[in-house]
Amino acid sequence: MSQRQRFIRKIVYACVIAALLLPLSWLSQPAAKDGSKGGLLAQMRAEHNLSQADLGEIDPASETIKLATLGMRGVAANILWEKANQYHKEEDWAGLSATLEQIVRLQPNFVSVWVFQGWNLSYNISVEFDDYHDRYRWVIKGIDFLKEGTQYNRDEPRLLTDIGWTVAHKIGKADERVQYRRLFREDDEFNGSRPLAQRDNWLVGREWLVKAEQIVARGIPLKGKSPLLFYSRPPMCLVNYAQTLEEEGTFGEVAKNAWKKASDSWTEFSDRDLPTQHNLSVRLGEKEAYLKRAQEAQAELARLTPPGLREEIAKEKFDALSEQERTAHDTPSEQRTPEQHALLAGVKHKLEIHHLDIADRITGETHSGAFKAAEDATQADFMAKLIDSEREIVNFDYWTLKCRIEPDDSTLAARKAMYDGDRAFSKGDLVACSQAYEEGLKTWRQVLDKYPSLLKDSDLTEDLVASIGHYRSILHQMDKEFPKTFILQDVLDADAALQNPKVPLSEGASSGAASSTANDPSNAEVPNKDNDPSKPAP
Amino acid sequence: MVLESEPPIFLNWIGPALLSFLASAAVLGLAALAVGFLIAAFRYGPVGGGDVTYRMLKNALGDLVSLSSRRILALAWLAVQESLRRRVLVGFGIFLLILLFAGWFLDTKSNDPATLYLSFVLTATTYLVLLIALFLSAFSLPADIKNRTIYTIVTKPVRSGELVLGRILGFAVIGTLFLGVMGLCSYVFVVRVLSHAHEVEVASLRSNPNDTSGARTGRTSLSQNHRHQVTLDADGTGSTDMVQGHFHEITPQIVGDKTTYVVGSPQGLLTARVPAYGSLRFKDRGGKGSERGISVGKEWKYHSYVEGATLAAAIWNFSDITPERFPDHLPIEMTIRVFRSYKGDIEKGIRGSLVLKNPRTGRASAEQFFVAKDFYVDRRDIPRKLNDATGQPLDLFDDLVVDGELEIWMQCLDNAQYLGVAKGDLYLRARDASFTLNFIKSYLGIWVQMLLVTSFGVMFSTFLSGPVAMMATLASMVVGFFAQFVFDVAKGAVQGGGPLESFIRIVKQQNVTTQLEPGLTTTIVQSTDHVFMTFMTSITSLLPNFKQFSNVNYVAHGFDIPPDAVLIQLCTAAGYVAAVFAIGYFFLRTREVAR
Repeated sequence: MSQRQRFIRKIVYACVIAALLLPLSWLSQPAAKDGSKGGLLAQMRAEHNLSQADLGEIDPASETIKLATLGMRGVAANILWEKANQYHKEEDWAGLSATLEQIVRLQPNFVSVWVFQGWNLSYNISVEFDDYHDRYRWVIKGIDFLKEGTQYNRDEPRLLTDIGWTVAHKIGKADERVQYRRLFREDDEFNGSRPLAQRDNWLVGREWLVKAEQIVARGIPLKGKSPLLFYSRPPMCLVNYAQTLEEEGTFGEVAKNAWKKASDSWTEFSDRDLPTQHNLSVRLGEKEAYLKRAQEAQAELARLTPPGLREEIAKEKFDALSEQERTAHDTPSEQRTPEQHALLAGVKHKLEIHHLDIADRITGETHSGAFKAAEDATQADFMAKLIDSEREIVNFDYWTLKCRIEPDDSTLAARKAMYDGDRAFSKGDLVACSQAYEEGLKTWRQVLDKYPSLLKDSDLTEDLVASIGHYRSILHQMDKEFPKTFILQDVLDADAALQNPKVPLSEGASSGAASSTANDPSNAEVPNKDNDPSKPAP
Repeated sequence: MVLESEPPIFLNWIGPALLSFLASAAVLGLAALAVGFLIAAFRYGPVGGGDVTYRMLKNALGDLVSLSSRRILALAWLAVQESLRRRVLVGFGIFLLILLFAGWFLDTKSNDPATLYLSFVLTATTYLVLLIALFLSAFSLPADIKNRTIYTIVTKPVRSGELVLGRILGFAVIGTLFLGVMGLCSYVFVVRVLSHAHEVEVASLRSNPNDTSGARTGRTSLSQNHRHQVTLDADGTGSTDMVQGHFHEITPQIVGDKTTYVVGSPQGLLTARVPAYGSLRFKDRGGKGSERGISVGKEWKYHSYVEGATLAAAIWNFSDITPERFPDHLPIEMTIRVFRSYKGDIEKGIRGSLVLKNPRTGRASAEQFFVAKDFYVDRRDIPRKLNDATGQPLDLFDDLVVDGELEIWMQCLDNAQYLGVAKGDLYLRARDASFTLNFIKSYLGIWVQMLLVTSFGVMFSTFLSGPVAMMATLASMVVGFFAQFVFDVAKGAVQGGGPLESFIRIVKQQNVTTQLEPGLTTTIVQSTDHVFMTFMTSITSLLPNFKQFSNVNYVAHGFDIPPDAVLIQLCTAAGYVAAVFAIGYFFLRTREVAR
């Protein structure tokens, strides 16, 4: 090759390089401080908040490790996960911690890593230790791990929710909760300068959950979290806080205020617009309003419906059934074959008379009015049902009732008296114990008369039955007889019925409740409290 | 520390090992001779081939006899100079960078920082030194041959053996210097990072109202992400609790009318315990002997469990227990796992008892009670003078030890609760060796690995080009590091099958636990894997198991590296170097340039 050819070749190379630089610059020119938006990639990063600075802290260690893997980050992360599993299996906790640190340096913006391993540390590894002090340390280690994750992923509501959840529920609901809560209060490293009075895991957990809410309010998507559960957690923290205060013996104004705050927060939650899977937003507190609207619309439709029309439609629908369907419908339930049972669901659906079915058949001047009423009734019914199903998920009716009843002075007095009785019982102080129990039983009678739905609260009846058991034992020790007509017989019956659903509530229970049903504002079925709306995160 | 198996006694090991080495060398040597003869016979006919082979052997023996240490040293010095010319010091710079920024990558809140930092420096040193050794040794000779600089050497009266040995020695010298400096830096780094100071927070000191002795409890200031609980006697002396694997002594200092407390340096962080292990056997709940205790369903079967409030027991049998070894007391250290079948009292730990028993007469000491501390090393000093269960006095050595043997029985006292143990979970802490010496011994393990990589690199470079020699050495290292995995795959102990089966599973995204569809394809796949794994197992058996030379676990967990283990490592490495040298020599001899 001659010198001239070599020269030409070099010129060609230079031209090609220069030509390639143009699209490269168009694609990946970085944004500058003078306001220029940079290349296409820089603009897209800015648009979707994908640059490292937008996601969170820029960590030189993380960047170094990523570079050091020479593009084999995925392989390295995989090996480290294997190693972490091996360390977990072989109970090498120091090795596991160190490996987790390396994994998150490699994948700092992979939120699931933080979520999974934070959970692993707080829930799975903590229980491997026998001493609750060690357990607590690992629970906090998991929380610290998640907190570290928020530095790299500052706009990630999932991490904040998990921190809130772990602080609130792992510390507040574990078997070791008494010990954990004590250690949490004493934990200067975790709480920093937070005053002692505010070092309650439920309140601290709620702070994180509220932070997550604030981020979502800025338009950051929740990504896989149910909005219903997400928004129910902060008020539930306040409810749990108030409950825990009472369990630990704090009553009076402190408990009353705690319940009031919980109640306010729950009301706020019930007034919040919550998206549902039907692409409709609902407010949990609006069910009653929709029911009322539905009733009014139905009444209007009924007024406009000519006599006999409903029966006529019903007959037509029945006539339209096939022979098989009719037989299934007419056969008594106990004689139906499995096929007929299966068929019946469809039959019922076919026989259902919708408001619009009636409105369609009304003619003349009243047609438009009937059609509007039918539409209103249908829509209101649908919304009421939709809200009801959402309510069931978070056990809304139970907690609403609880928030209404618990701040009541008589409820607080009843709980305090029983608490005093339980304490005196554990100390063996027979006289103080029987006095406190008698006072407590009387006050509970008043509360139950006022809110008879409480009899369906299994937690309450179980607690009361345990205390009644203590009371019975105290009376026995004092050579006294358990009263034949017991003041809380309905509680014993209700508990027996809950333990064994076949046993009906006694007359006493229903009569005790009947007198004051009108006072019970919700008059709703009170589901079991086990349906705590909050659920474990991952 | 997890103790899967104890290293054998060197004197017991060396005889069979030497025989095995000689037998392998003879078989492989004869096989190589046969192959050499066949190749020569193919080229020069049977007679010519025989002559070539004979001359080759004769020359080899001649070369071996006339190896000159002066020439070897000169060649080694040449290799050192060449290494320095190739900017090998960059590797050292990388190491310093790693150390400087280690805090970024490590868990500063680790529960066991000593283990973490020691593991880190030793592992980082190992990988870096091995990489340097790999690059130096694999590229040197091929580069010389390619650049023809080799002629400046081979034109002088230098023998092929000296050329190979000189290179190995030269690169080993460089590696040794590297290791020396790295070891020093690592030592300073670990000591510096782990050293810290606390102060007693005087305001936190409280007296126990039920305790009239004047003792007080409180806490220390926060340092290196931890603080300690403090217990002080009436005179102000005391100590802290064990956190992150260490504690501090506390002494009072009175200045004027004010008392301050001086918290000493951390104790127990950098140790080299010399343990005396016993053999372990079990009794089941009915008192019948068994090899293992109960499994509580954990995936890892290392620990065996002893059921509480039954006749079940874990029994360690110790030998060589003499008053000379344990003049004052019997220091027992134990790490006991706990498994609760019900929560019980969360505030209280699970109780166990220790009984020292004469293995022959059955005479036993009174029970010594303890509360199991999960994941902590619990030390108990058993005095020489003891009582039996009836209160009768006993002497440890006169009544309980017989011919140096002693049994220690451990039982769990809480009903339906379990204590988990393994052989290495209870040992006698015979003495403490020097940590510094232990650290040096761990570097000796790395040095051995470096020597092996260097030897393999030089050997491969005698007949392969630089990049190929490097890949071959790297493959030997990888196989050496994952030898156990290769054996496990061959045995079928690893789920997912051999390489072909695994590949199919990956492509089909099939779980490793599900069986492949039976049929011809599966049979072909598994048979191919079987043949391949047989080949891999043979190759792996010939290569050094690099993990065998690693002493990281001992040092990181504060145990002395047994001298026997070090001797075995050195002898094994010497065997490999000798074999690799011979192979390298013969391959170099086959090359035109070296004749």
